[in-house]
Amino acid sequence: MSYYFTILSPTDTPIFNIAFGTSKGGGDGIARFRFPDTAQYMNQFIIHSSLDIVEEAQWTNGGMYLKHVDTYPPAAAYISAFLTPSGARFLLLHQPPQLPSGNASLGSSSLLGASGSTTRTSSSSVAANPTSPQTEEAVRQFMNEIYESYVKSAMSPFYKQGMEIRSPVFRSKVTAAGKKWL
Amino acid sequence: MNSRRVILTVRSNLVSRNDRTRIDKVNAELVTLTYGTIVAQLCQDYDSDYQEVNKQLDKMGYNIGMRLIEDFLAKSGVGRCANFRETADMVAKVGFKIFLNVAPTVTNWTSDNNQFSLIFEDNPLADFVELPDDGRAQDELWFSNILCGVLRGALEMVQMQIEAHFVSDVLRGDDTTEMRVSLVRYIEDEMPPEEE
Amino acid sequence: MAAPRHSAMLSISNASTPQSTSSDKTQVQQPQSPAGTSGLRVPSNRKTIYDRHLNRSRNAELSRASFAYLFGEMVSYAQRRVTGIQDLEKRLNEQGYPLGLRLLDLLFYRATSTSSSALSSSSTSSSPPNRPLRILTLLHLIHGPLWRLLFQRSADALEHSVSPDTPNEYMITDNEPLVNTYISVPREMSMLNCAAFVAGIIEGVCDGCGFEAKVSAHNQPTEMWPSRTVFLVRFGDSVMEREKVLERAGVK
Repeated sequence: MSYYFTILSPTDTPIFNIAFGTSKGGGDGIARFRFPDTAQYMNQFIIHSSLDIVEEAQWTNGGMYLKHVDTYPPAAAYISAFLTPSGARFLLLHQPPQLPSGNASLGSSSLLGASGSTTRTSSSSVAANPTSPQTEEAVRQFMNEIYESYVKSAMSPFYKQGMEIRSPVFRSKVTAAGKKWL
Repeated sequence: MNSRRVILTVRSNLVSRNDRTRIDKVNAELVTLTYGTIVAQLCQDYDSDYQEVNKQLDKMGYNIGMRLIEDFLAKSGVGRCANFRETADMVAKVGFKIFLNVAPTVTNWTSDNNQFSLIFEDNPLADFVELPDDGRAQDELWFSNILCGVLRGALEMVQMQIEAHFVSDVLRGDDTTEMRVSLVRYIEDEMPPEEE
Repeated sequence: MAAPRHSAMLSISNASTPQSTSSDKTQVQQPQSPAGTSGLRVPSNRKTIYDRHLNRSRNAELSRASFAYLFGEMVSYAQRRVTGIQDLEKRLNEQGYPLGLRLLDLLFYRATSTSSSALSSSSTSSSPPNRPLRILTLLHLIHGPLWRLLFQRSADALEHSVSPDTPNEYMITDNEPLVNTYISVPREMSMLNCAAFVAGIIEGVCDGCGFEAKVSAHNQPTEMWPSRTVFLVRFGDSVMEREKVLERAGVK
């Protein structure tokens, strides 16, 4: 499983990005996206195209963790969202590893997660199924842990909303949370 | 530009009068966060000219110190200190305790007993704070500089002219937060100093 | 909506992914070596804001006088840089605004991280708190938990405008605002209310939650409460429209 995590300001400016791979089931923590050359661009594109759905969910579900909100079948990418009360969005894109056959076609998968079945063969690890309850719970823990670090960044009087979070300590906290939960 | 007249005054004696009849505490975080906005605002207003921000903070502190001393004397009930060493202990163990709920360590006296350091283990003003990562703030800004002014203003009202400045700060990556305080002279005449 | 998003999404490119071998020397952050390459120095114990527990000062108290002096200096400083009461109140409001955003995150963090929720009056609920979706939920959050965090008590009243022309106006009353307790305003500035700072905090909370609003502080003294202050919260049209939609949809 490969992950791309981003924090967007209330005005959709990315204030933090990181890519990493799973550390579960012997994973080495390195992201291996299906389109390595364009991964950076694609990931941001996919995340941004899920924002309308996030915004809709934002006003029907009062939770901070919105779970899996969107799927982008062409890249087999799943998006999970966490909203801070002050309007920042934590978005996690997960992409299961490509099947050996190279058959990544998911057809017209619904947003409800039925598409998860196509990846079942690739791995038995929890993280391999982006919509399973175990994954949802792991992502929730991951998000909560990052929320704590985010609040610490935002509490500093010199931090202004929408400012890029450049602290390497913050980055290492996110990396550690990824390693621990994903 | 507007006149520099300070027309909004803190009713200083009200502070001590009220203390007897009502709780005289506030949430520490309200103080911390309010101070943070003050420093951030100064940095913005002075376009990150941190020397100037230090100066302004010191000035604010001076204004506070001059009024706070009355309150301090009323609350602590202490009398005149016999010497500068006694003053230092009073400042650290009573003054800072009352107003900031910390008791910095008094240390590093010079042999003439005219200079000492205050080492702060805790500093509620700096809670939650990370200085701007602009390559300058950690070299130039003394985030808690208002405290130097407070000390200067307060001691001036009890006839001691002092000089105070920070020499290290954990916010700058130093291992301690240390303020150096020097006695300049005892003020002989009884005229109150002019407000800055 | 799509156009600005696509332009914004490339505005930073700080994700030096582990598989990208060409390292960009101009980037400050390097994921492989935390705490080493930032411009910020840390003490030898490596303690940073990220190592300090967010609840550490949760119940800490400080002298009320310290706050009074600090707030007084903040107001006089602001006053030296503006002309007129309106500008002064605007400035105080702007200084409070970012505090509102911070307090919002802090409140929710504390509500999620502790068993006794700071956001709900019933201590039995252990589920994380919900973001306010409706105006009343938001106002209760301000009237209760926010006020308690700041002033250690709830606000005194919460009212809705009775005028059919201003359904978007709500009033939060504080009979004795802490921020005004020690400020004496001269007669010629009797209109001034330094609780504009608190109004800014409220505005930050509203905006943060996605309820665009203007908040102002007004003197409404009574014989018993000479410094009684009413915070007038005026929500924007978009908020009122959404409110109607959510009402119809049965969202609480």
